Amino acid sequence: MKERYFSTFQLILLTFFAALVVIAKIALRLPLQLSGHSGLFWMAIVIIGARVVPKRGAASLIGLTSGLLATFLGLGDFGAVNTLLSYSALGVFTDLSLLLLGNPEHLLAAGVAGAIGHLGKFLVKWAIGVLTGAPVGFVSLGLATALVSYIIFGALGGVLGGLTLVALRKAGYFAYLAEKK
Amino acid sequence: MNQKMRLLIGLLVILLLAAGILAVEGLRGGFAPGTPAGATVTLEPGSVPIYFNDGLLGGLVPRNLERLEQVSFEDAAEGKPQDGWLLRDVLGLYLDADQLSPQTRIIVSSASRNKSAQLTWQEVNDRENMVMFDLSNRGTLKLVSLLEKLDMRDEWVQDIDRIEVRNP
Repeated sequence: MKERYFSTFQLILLTFFAALVVIAKIALRLPLQLSGHSGLFWMAIVIIGARVVPKRGAASLIGLTSGLLATFLGLGDFGAVNTLLSYSALGVFTDLSLLLLGNPEHLLAAGVAGAIGHLGKFLVKWAIGVLTGAPVGFVSLGLATALVSYIIFGALGGVLGGLTLVALRKAGYFAYLAEKK
Repeated sequence: MNQKMRLLIGLLVILLLAAGILAVEGLRGGFAPGTPAGATVTLEPGSVPIYFNDGLLGGLVPRNLERLEQVSFEDAAEGKPQDGWLLRDVLGLYLDADQLSPQTRIIVSSASRNKSAQLTWQEVNDRENMVMFDLSNRGTLKLVSLLEKLDMRDEWVQDIDRIEVRNP
């Protein structure tokens, strides 16, 4: 029988991370009044997920699954398509950046990957705004400020994810996972 | 390729994407839809356009708000504090009071939310009504007020992207 790309265990893990993204988006509210501040926990979760399931496409699958969950839960302020595409783009851009940068346990690599992944979400939201003519929530702070905010919070989230990965390795989590595969 | 080179490429990707977005947005802002022919006003990227009798007055940007007094009130719906800037003060940056009459209509709208609120200058100018812009958590502006027609969450106009002032 042909072996599946992701094992059932890995798919369960990825779905867990996707659900975590959505729960964090609902439950964690930082009163920062800055666009993209949710990237702090969002990118951390995606970076951790992409390392815990170290296969290409893992982050994309987290993005797509969390996008689907968020869409059905009515999250996002600009409609289902915007929500699904922006969540998915975050995963795809994170995957592409990790393809270049390698192991996110390297904190600088995790930070840059987080920034690129989060920038992917911004890019999609902005592109939808350009194509449809509808502003997409960056208006009051100015686009440049929102853009910088997205990059910084994405990078911080990436570093947070990297730090968590280092802690997980020290705790022996990856050795445990290796046995489960 | 060593890790340092990979990181540099990653940073370069970020810079290129950011520069691309800002460049395209700059071009869009310079040719903003709705700008009347011959108008000398151009909109900055991300600004909220303010129209007076169909003519573009300018674009509201954060540095404009920094010059204004901040006010706050507790909303009737959830008892949460709403902090921001009075709409009358915002309009005062672009218009003289003698250009407005009590019946002047002020329409604040959001295309992305498909919502708008129509007010008169009399309502906006009355400080007791607290017709103001609050900064949302996501950094966008929302119109809130103590006025009965604008005191509930469903009635607020979030993600404001257009302000129109029309004299009768």
